[in-house]
Amino acid sequence: MFPNRAAVESVGDAIELAPIKGRSLWADARARFFRNRAAVVALIALGLVGAFALFGGIFAQYEPDFVNFSLIGSNAYLGVPSTETGHYFGTDSNGRDLFARTVQGTGISLMVGIVGALVAVIVGTLYGATAGYYGGRVDGLMMRIVDVLMSIPFMFVLILMLVIFGRSIFMLFLGIGLISWLDMARIARGQTLTIKNKEFVEVAVAIGVHPAKIILRHIVPNLLGIVIVYATLLVPNMIIFESFISFLGLGVQEPATSLGALINEGSRTMQFGYYWQIGFPLFFFVVTIFAFFFVGDGLRDALDPKDR
Amino acid sequence: MTFQSKLLATTAAIVVAAAGAVYADGHATHPETGEVLASDQTFTYRDLDESPSIDPGLAEDSAGGDILRDLFEGLYNQDAAGNLIPGVALSHTVSDDGLVYTFTLRDDGKWSNGDTVTAGDFEYAWKRAASPELASPYSWFIELMALENAGEVIAGEVDIAELGVTAIDDTTLEVRLTQPLPYFPQMLTHFTTFPVHQATVEEFGSDWTKPGNMVSNGAYMLTEHVPQERLVRERNEMYWDNDNTIIEKVTSLVINDENVALTRYLAGELDRTDVPAGQFPRLAAEYPDQAVSVPLSCSYYYMFNLRDGAPEEIQNADVRKALSLAIDRDIIVENVLAGGQKAAYTFTHWATAGFETPDIPMATMSQEDRNAMAVELMTAAGYGPDNPLEIDLVYNTSDSHRSVAVAISQMWKQTLGVETTLANQEWQTFLEARSNGDFEVARGGWCADYNEASTFLDLMQSESGYNDSQYVNAKVDDLLAEAKTSDNAQANYDMVEMIVAEDTPIIPIYHYASVKMFAENLEGWPFENFQQNWYSKDLYKIAE
Amino acid sequence: MLSFIFRRLAVAVPTLLILVVLSFVLMYSAPGGPFNSERPLPPEVLANIEAKYGLDQPFWKQIVNYVVSVVTQFDFGPSFQYKDRTVNDVIAQGFPVTLTYGFWSFVVAVTVGVSLGVAAAIRQNTWLDYLAVGISIGAQVLPNFVMAPILLLIFTLWLGWLPGGGWQGGQWQFLIMPVIALSTSYMASIARITRSSMLEVLNTNFIRTARAKGLPMRRVIWRHAMKPTMLPVLSYLGPAFVGMITGSVIIDVFFSTGGIGQFFVNSAFNRDYSVIMGITILVGTLTILFNLLVDILYAWLDPKIRY
Repeated sequence: MFPNRAAVESVGDAIELAPIKGRSLWADARARFFRNRAAVVALIALGLVGAFALFGGIFAQYEPDFVNFSLIGSNAYLGVPSTETGHYFGTDSNGRDLFARTVQGTGISLMVGIVGALVAVIVGTLYGATAGYYGGRVDGLMMRIVDVLMSIPFMFVLILMLVIFGRSIFMLFLGIGLISWLDMARIARGQTLTIKNKEFVEVAVAIGVHPAKIILRHIVPNLLGIVIVYATLLVPNMIIFESFISFLGLGVQEPATSLGALINEGSRTMQFGYYWQIGFPLFFFVVTIFAFFFVGDGLRDALDPKDR
Repeated sequence: MTFQSKLLATTAAIVVAAAGAVYADGHATHPETGEVLASDQTFTYRDLDESPSIDPGLAEDSAGGDILRDLFEGLYNQDAAGNLIPGVALSHTVSDDGLVYTFTLRDDGKWSNGDTVTAGDFEYAWKRAASPELASPYSWFIELMALENAGEVIAGEVDIAELGVTAIDDTTLEVRLTQPLPYFPQMLTHFTTFPVHQATVEEFGSDWTKPGNMVSNGAYMLTEHVPQERLVRERNEMYWDNDNTIIEKVTSLVINDENVALTRYLAGELDRTDVPAGQFPRLAAEYPDQAVSVPLSCSYYYMFNLRDGAPEEIQNADVRKALSLAIDRDIIVENVLAGGQKAAYTFTHWATAGFETPDIPMATMSQEDRNAMAVELMTAAGYGPDNPLEIDLVYNTSDSHRSVAVAISQMWKQTLGVETTLANQEWQTFLEARSNGDFEVARGGWCADYNEASTFLDLMQSESGYNDSQYVNAKVDDLLAEAKTSDNAQANYDMVEMIVAEDTPIIPIYHYASVKMFAENLEGWPFENFQQNWYSKDLYKIAE
Repeated sequence: MLSFIFRRLAVAVPTLLILVVLSFVLMYSAPGGPFNSERPLPPEVLANIEAKYGLDQPFWKQIVNYVVSVVTQFDFGPSFQYKDRTVNDVIAQGFPVTLTYGFWSFVVAVTVGVSLGVAAAIRQNTWLDYLAVGISIGAQVLPNFVMAPILLLIFTLWLGWLPGGGWQGGQWQFLIMPVIALSTSYMASIARITRSSMLEVLNTNFIRTARAKGLPMRRVIWRHAMKPTMLPVLSYLGPAFVGMITGSVIIDVFFSTGGIGQFFVNSAFNRDYSVIMGITILVGTLTILFNLLVDILYAWLDPKIRY
């Protein structure tokens, strides 16, 4: 489910070189990325999806929570997608405009994905960098904790948490972020172990810079490449994850919605022939995830100098 | 057996079965109606969820009740219209003060292992259900039956031998009550009162309900039980009325998702399933002989929190009434649910026996008038576009509750400018919040315990444990108390409904209907039975 | 190696304890109890029930009793929700089901995924490669709760080939759709990982040498390239296994298979503490064991790793 650790780690091998080669690596990477046609197309697609989520609402003829009572229960004839009625994507089973709801759902799904990935990446990087920097017993203890946590079936714990504390977007971020920082911590620690023996770190230690400052100023920036790749590959997994939670009925609260919730509703009415109710949200879901995967792959290839 | 030979064998078996069906069809006829019976007399239906228990003493849900009515037989059964007909008991006499019931039991009742069903089996079962050791969540039913010493036995204050039920001899059962209950015989069709086989329970302990162990006295016996998957019961040859049982095998399948269940019904795997909300019109048009909607004895309503310390806004009866007026119930029942439910302006279900729905003024108005009146009341209460009312609405997680809540919050918004925050909570959290008064407006549903209006209206009594609104009105309490002994209870019920419509502690929204798909050739379903108590032994399949 | 296994097993014990305590505390802080219902129970009835299940005792005593009976007698207690059953009954019935379709999904995901990935890598940038990549990405983005109803519509309603659900002791007709729905996204991931890993391996010097020696391609792949290719795949199997156990929730809901996924979700909703604990501990133990197994395999495959 989560980005493959070994694959991401290989990026780290490349990043090590960063301090020596200076800026040119990033420039190289950019050039390599833009040579990768699939990644560029994916990046454009991602831009379009983002624009849809941000500005799509301007074109919507209805508010996402507005119920057109005359359309409830007559989806099959009146709620079909049409430019005449202004319901470009048709309506959902509750007589609401699916276009406006898809815009809202895309936004929320992207937000869940990005914020969830950010939480995971920030916590994981800081944790891993700290463990790697201090090394020795601290490292041993911190990494054992990670091992322990990795053995816990977190999906089960997350279900428990959502059931118990009630559903909220905050809980979702927290839960999802909590599950996925562990891999990041391991990767960040591995890279830190090599970085901390570099001259610039040794100099900083020698002149008495505070360890917290060394970690934040000197180590974390050198982890940036690997972090970006990992984060990009994490976002689509977060979105898939959220859709699973929505399926269990533990997702965002009505009248707000997410792509996962819309797809889930749509999959229920599929057998009645209301294909648009699943089709449109699924389209945006698939495009978003495809795009993130390709951009992530492109970034990894670009930051990995081993020419394939 | 190799994979391929297994496949061949399966195919062969299907061919043989199909051939057999052609020849066998048309042989048997129904003893009463003379209809030609199908050779395949199996009944397969969908259950939403696994029942907590199929031990009569411990069972607690209605799906479990459906299973238990097949496996066991109590003192009385219900016929298709819900009237009492003899089960294990042939008849009974009541003492003049209405406190002592003496039942005469049939002597040909048999357990599935051949033992005779005796009055002692009932005595044992009832005492077991009330015993603190069993700790049944349904032991309160014994208390509800007003058996002598029931409360004390459950609380462990009095020895279990003191419970008001005694087997005089094998065919005579004496029951002593603490107060006369006119509907007492009706309660004897409930699963908690079913007999259990003492020797089996004592031999196997809590494993006695497993197939192979269970000894039962109903028309069917348990042959297979895979929790969360299926429960199969087959004809009990020992049953006294076995000759009139037509269905050979009944299977209940646990299918959580109603859309999946419908798919499987349409694929011919099920003989009965539920219709998903909003799909009834389409299915009724496409399968007119299969989609059925009958009234079900439950009411759907929203309740306001009227406790001290609850938000100030909703303590104003005018505000509550405005919110009630602004709900277009016709849209809810015709468009959102569209399954033959009825718009509700009274709490009591319209089809309750002996209940005439009173003329609530709101019920006869047009929706435009209601909306106008609602706006007027809201404005008078000081709310309007500049000062919109904000309320929280909680409901328990379910697709149809969500649809209703979404529609109603929009009606409030579009008519009154009310800003509603929706919160769906899963069931246990929801119950806790509701009984603790941690809500402003909450969804409620109430199903009749018995077929009389007081089963609904008693909720409006200030002391009722189910009055989650904590609505207190002395007049209502008096009227309800008086109705218990009055000859003309209807007048009191009318007044209570009027007061409730005016005070609006709750907003009645609709009266339930049971909306189901039934296989075309399935006959004998008791549609007239308001509580939908059905017995597989009354069903049969006709040849097509 | 042995000491590594021992060390890992030693960590497993505190891990499980943490898991037990964590879930116990979570359940206890939950609003609502296992015996709430639409009609509140009379206090004397509730008291009887609480006494029966030992819920009237102080919290610390409950948790100690629980751990003791689990450790000494392997007894997870009675289910609060399914009153005729113990937790051991529930697990004994549901777990083999989950394990059966989980195992087949695993086999399908690995064999199909690896074959697809290898095929795509050897024929890089041909139609086969594009097809394999297309299939794998398509399979990865289609959530299995969409896949399941689509399968039902096609195979049960339209074609009438397969029963729409049930288990019947795991006959093959009842296995097909659960296995497809559960395995596709993992198959896709494995295919992607295999492909990129194989591409990398094929570019290494030792493979180039092998090919330069004139060894046939088939032999190069099997004898030399497969082993290093499988390393990243192997490290993915741990998460994949956990994902499949979790995914059983969806399988059980759509195909009424009666596995532990459904029991878990229902128990969480019904506050059936004992069943939740039992399943959590079971899955936690399995996760630990499986991760250990993967690590051992890894060490065996990769001579660079020493423990």
